[in-house]
Amino acid sequence: MRVVVAEDVMLTREGITRLLTDAGVDVAAEAGDAASLLRAVRTTQPDVAIIDIRMPPTHTDEGLVAAQQIRAEHPTVGVLILSQYIEPHYAMRLLDEHPERTGYLLKERVFDVTNLIDALRRLADGETVVDPTIVTRLFARKRRPDPLGQLTGREREVLALVAEGLSNRAIAARLFVTERTVEAHVNQIFQKLSLSIGPGSHRRVLAVLAYLRQPG
Amino acid sequence: MEGKVPGTAAHRGCPQDGTVASTEISRRQRCHNQVMDRTGPSARTPAPLGTRGRLTILAQLAVPARVAAAIAGAVVAAGALAVAEGPGRATTYAGSSTAGAALTLSAGVGLIAAGLVISLSRRPGRTGDLALLAGFCWFAPVWMAWQDGPPLVPGAAMVAAGFTFPLIVHLVLTCSTGRADSKPARLLAAVVYAEALLAAVALALFRNPYFDPGCLANCNVNIFLIHSLPSLARTVQIGDRWFTAAAAATLTVVCAARLVRASAPARQRLLPVHVPAIGFAAAVIARAAALQQTTVEDPFNPSLFTIFAIGSAAVILLAAGLISGVARARAERRAVARIAASLEEAPAPGTLQSALAAALRDPALQIAYWLPSTQRYADATGQAVPEPPAGPGRMVTRLTRSGRTIAVISHSGAVPRIEAQIGPAIRLGVENERLQAELLAQLEELRASRARIVETADTERRGLERNLHDGAQQRLLALSYDIRLACAAARAHGDTPAETALAQATADVQGVLGELRDLAHGIYPAVLAEAGIGPALATLADTAPLPVEILRVEDRRYPAPVEAAAYFAVVEALGDTARRGADHAAVTVGQEGGRLVVTIQHNGTGGAASMVAAADRIGALGGSLFSRDTTCRAEIPCGS
Repeated sequence: MRVVVAEDVMLTREGITRLLTDAGVDVAAEAGDAASLLRAVRTTQPDVAIIDIRMPPTHTDEGLVAAQQIRAEHPTVGVLILSQYIEPHYAMRLLDEHPERTGYLLKERVFDVTNLIDALRRLADGETVVDPTIVTRLFARKRRPDPLGQLTGREREVLALVAEGLSNRAIAARLFVTERTVEAHVNQIFQKLSLSIGPGSHRRVLAVLAYLRQPG
Repeated sequence: MEGKVPGTAAHRGCPQDGTVASTEISRRQRCHNQVMDRTGPSARTPAPLGTRGRLTILAQLAVPARVAAAIAGAVVAAGALAVAEGPGRATTYAGSSTAGAALTLSAGVGLIAAGLVISLSRRPGRTGDLALLAGFCWFAPVWMAWQDGPPLVPGAAMVAAGFTFPLIVHLVLTCSTGRADSKPARLLAAVVYAEALLAAVALALFRNPYFDPGCLANCNVNIFLIHSLPSLARTVQIGDRWFTAAAAATLTVVCAARLVRASAPARQRLLPVHVPAIGFAAAVIARAAALQQTTVEDPFNPSLFTIFAIGSAAVILLAAGLISGVARARAERRAVARIAASLEEAPAPGTLQSALAAALRDPALQIAYWLPSTQRYADATGQAVPEPPAGPGRMVTRLTRSGRTIAVISHSGAVPRIEAQIGPAIRLGVENERLQAELLAQLEELRASRARIVETADTERRGLERNLHDGAQQRLLALSYDIRLACAAARAHGDTPAETALAQATADVQGVLGELRDLAHGIYPAVLAEAGIGPALATLADTAPLPVEILRVEDRRYPAPVEAAAYFAVVEALGDTARRGADHAAVTVGQEGGRLVVTIQHNGTGGAASMVAAADRIGALGGSLFSRDTTCRAEIPCGS
């Protein structure tokens, strides 16, 4: 697998690069800002670009803008946004335009190399990646009445994995059940929550996140 | 005579100086100081307002003098009529026809009447005296035809006749302010007087009427004659005629220039005198041209009579214009005085300016109040304004009270000595408005200062959040990375205790990172600055200790201080709501007019907390916050 790493803090950039190299991932290029990232993606056509959300010059959302541009210009290149913010808003903004091959992970999670490699693999497979911390936080949101209360424990588990961006097959593998079972669970959940989006659609991650954030 | 009245003469210089360019600071300052110094006495002797209060001994003497002038005027006019009917009747326009008599009489009496009216209205300057004198001189050509009277009368009349023109020129030049108000005007007046004097003296001493081929009236004797020089007399007569024509042309130019340069309200006042003046000047020029064709000024010559009729009509109109100007000024004084009466009803800021503008028929009139505490000018609402500059058509007058400048008034300059018309009652009103303006300005400064304090605090908060993000959090990330490497190395060496300890350390660092992240978010959420109030409130609802519905929030950006004020108001209100045991809250954020309105409704019990921090923030932006029972509502001005 070939990746490009864009991160303006050299220490972090080198750490990630070393982790990936040690794990056998080919780091095709490193970039310190959005412009050099876009150049690197154009020339190396990696499987995934790993992008820090805050980059020069304004250190606000340059990474997010660059990610959207990459997804628009290079449909085969996945993007993984690294951030220190538990902000569903950023993740949803990213997924809103390009639901496939996009991911949003907390920075500290990438130093757990298995997490990182797993996320990269899923992105390369066309899945979506949403940091579990974000999903956990959304699940913990106080609601009145709580519609999630009508779900069984297993259904909540499945819903959380859907929200993290896993495909049915990946959920089945994670939970050691058949894909058919997962499909049944997903249908059941969507019915209980009156979610209208098709269970197989790539848009379902965004729909679930939006559902979890809706008032009440 | 009027000019010597204390308290009026003192002010006269200043409106003039007020018209100097604003760069002449030292001169203006000097004038300002003079006003300050000179207003002292008038403050001790109150009631400089109006006409009655200024009646000092000198002014009281003026009344008998005017009565005497009126009687003299009547005698001169009636006598002239009698002379015109006498043996010399063929030599004067007045004697030539009834129309000539009517025109002569109307113009002369008109000038005398205008002079009396102006003098009695206590307008400053010499305009009244000039009109009186011009009226007397107007009859001189008729008196020259008194053949059976004492020879001194025609002789004196001959000398006086030469001064009619300079007096009318001077009269026109002074009619607007009581003085010739510009260098060219003063020069013109001086030159015509000098020339008239020279010509009169030369003709009186050296013209023997017997040898004057152009002589029509009083052709036998010149009582002042010392030596007969016919050719010199002839040259002086022709020279005088053409000089007078040239001066009349100059007067036309000066009048036209004044009319063009004046502001609209000022032009309105100038027209009734300046247009007849131009007519009169035209008649003078025409007369000079006509006399070039003929030796004798024969009143029966139709073209000469027409020119005389035009000139007389112009003088009649001019006199009428002068009288109407006095009437107008009187009406304005009354209108200004009426303002004082209306001041009792505690007027709103700016009322005085519009009332003065209406009274003086000068819509562009502007009052700038002097705020000594900040050493600048402000309008009635306390907004800082530049010192009104004097310019073409605009005049600046300082208003003082007890020796202090309280305001400057920028006006068209059409009303002479505006500061004298503004009496103590209005001055008090101006002082009140000034104090009010000062208070409003201080309030505004205070509000701006509060806003700056909050803005500075927010900037520091954002800086702190960034420093945490880019500094401590990054270093902790690096540390967690190093610990993971060490952990992996320990595992590779089979050092289980070390691996366990390092795994624990990793978890600890993760915990610290989480806490630090929450801290940074609490200081200033990055999402608030980058995405606005909506996303920030959504995240707030994610982590709130009670169910929070964001019912409505407009998807648009507002100025950062407004967004921060709205956000932190919700944070504080939700904290209070949770403390009061509410089990849900609903938040709306929407724009109503120029305000961002935030409401938080909940079902908590007990009294609402005061929410000091949010109230301070919102107050600094000129907004309001109230919290009662189960509702909290904040209104924050947000521009458009």
